[in-house]
Amino acid sequence: MTEQDLDDRLAALIGQPMGSRETSQAPDPVNQPMIRHWAAAFEDWNPVYTDPDWAAKSRFGEIVAPPLMLQTWTMAIPKIAGIAERGGSPVEAEGTAALSILDEAGFVGTLATNSEFEILRYLRLGDVISAATTIESISPEKQTRLGAGRFVTWVTTYTDESGDVVGRQRFRILKFRPDGVPERAISSR
Amino acid sequence: MKLPAHRITLDWVEIRIGDEVTPLEIDVTPTVIVAGAIATRDFMPVHHDRDYAKTQGASDIFMNILSDTAYCSRFLTDWAGSNAMVRRVAIRLGVPMFPGRKLVYTGTVVGREQRDAEGVVKVEFRATNDLGDHLVGTAEIGFPTVVIS
Repeated sequence: MTEQDLDDRLAALIGQPMGSRETSQAPDPVNQPMIRHWAAAFEDWNPVYTDPDWAAKSRFGEIVAPPLMLQTWTMAIPKIAGIAERGGSPVEAEGTAALSILDEAGFVGTLATNSEFEILRYLRLGDVISAATTIESISPEKQTRLGAGRFVTWVTTYTDESGDVVGRQRFRILKFRPDGVPERAISSR
Repeated sequence: MKLPAHRITLDWVEIRIGDEVTPLEIDVTPTVIVAGAIATRDFMPVHHDRDYAKTQGASDIFMNILSDTAYCSRFLTDWAGSNAMVRRVAIRLGVPMFPGRKLVYTGTVVGREQRDAEGVVKVEFRATNDLGDHLVGTAEIGFPTVVIS
């Protein structure tokens, strides 16, 4: 595959869905038990997450979910058996075309570089959240300290049951051709 | 348990550029990393299985990104208060966070503006460990401009 072929194949992916499904719906509505579990794990005792009386008197008027829990609601239900054998993927591989094209072109290393959340409103108990992820951009080849690579950015739009957007998340990874990979260059999400 | 500072919300009109965000220090143990990974529903073995993490070139399990951003929001609202809304968080990731070290979030107010019905404060922050910057980022926090209760 020539450089031009690769550019063309990657350009065709911009705006396309990431993974095989266009939209994924949260398996459960926004709920107090998962919020309490999250609050305990991070020792975040903001009372608007878990104290109904406090929350009622707050600007929110009721319990709200921690804003950066947004992605957690739509995470796939993991298939625990075989997770290590699948390279850590929590579900059976869903073809992510951009990444497999880059892997085939030798950009086999993956390094997460950026995460960005935009919060339009805080989620309330009972909200049913859906997520749609599309590829936003793929950079030209760049020289990085890890080797030649391309930055891939995808954007996930989160909506409620009325279809109103509640938040967005941008996530960027570097796909690179490893040349002497230091410890930090490990797949991570 | 001591009453957290965020039961009181800062008054937007009193926040100044250059103000320090109260630092947040976390003693990162394996339990902290595993609890965060599972609470964010991230079952990737690199966040709970040291043997697996070693096969991936890491020296130990390491913190997942959803925990990084969870602590960002705790850091911001522990300082700003419970009526503050995290509107935007953007981070660039640096060195990994392994267990047995401290992670320290620090930040400074770099901007403020009235936007719709909110006073928006912009913060630049970083979280560092013994290896360097684990992440650097910016955030926007929305404060009510009318005092609530």
